[in-house]
Amino acid sequence: MIGVQAYALVAMLLFSLGALAVVTRKNIFVIYLGIELMLNALNLLLIALSRYHMGMESGVMALLIIGVAAAEAAVFLSLIVTLYRQRKTLDVDNLRITAGEEA
Amino acid sequence: MAEALFVILSLLMLLGGAGVLFFRQPLHAGMSFIVSIIALAGLFALLSHTFLFMVQIILYAGAVITLMLFVIMVLNVQESVLPDESLQPKTLFIGVLCLAPIVIAVVKTLGTLPFKELYIVPGDFGGIELLGAKLFTTWVLPFELISVLLLVALVAAVILAKQKERG
Repeated sequence: MIGVQAYALVAMLLFSLGALAVVTRKNIFVIYLGIELMLNALNLLLIALSRYHMGMESGVMALLIIGVAAAEAAVFLSLIVTLYRQRKTLDVDNLRITAGEEA
Repeated sequence: MAEALFVILSLLMLLGGAGVLFFRQPLHAGMSFIVSIIALAGLFALLSHTFLFMVQIILYAGAVITLMLFVIMVLNVQESVLPDESLQPKTLFIGVLCLAPIVIAVVKTLGTLPFKELYIVPGDFGGIELLGAKLFTTWVLPFELISVLLLVALVAAVILAKQKERG
């Protein structure tokens, strides 16, 4: 007996893990993984709701989110490569370009 | 059967997520992300969304993960450049404290929905036909916008990668 509630709990737990990874880690690569985890948790929630209502709308939304995540992956990863080439570090504390304080 | 699968898959998924949070090496975190993604694809199949299950496997386990592993390989990250990340229990605690209300709110709100068992639907619910019919009629504008977004991302990735070192 699995209802939409069980899926919601699991999805929100995964979302929390992703958000915690974004907040607590300093490695920019792991921050990217955390963002992806959050997007995927929302996808799970949308798809559970789509199954609950027996309608495809949330499924389409989930597909569009996957597309956005793919675009984000390309830009974020090339950003990481560029930053690593220039600064030789993955530490976000050393990447304060906009703060006006050259690290 | 479906209950057992749900429990196993969600445990795997959450363990993978916890691995992303706690592994220090980016490669280990990436591998544990793969575990999480594949278990998530299994949950999609359990919700009878067969097409999204395939998309998840092909696009994440195939494309995005390969891209990530290539980036890790190209960067050749040494132990010395990894940031100093002693586990910060205080930040973790505050994060949990901030996130708990959101989780409780969402779960409680969905808890007010009448209970319906989510068994695997026989027939073509979740297949490409129904999804495509919705995607190319009601949702055609967002779909086209996504294609523009992907083009922009492609151009941006090329420009960022070709940038000469400054200074």
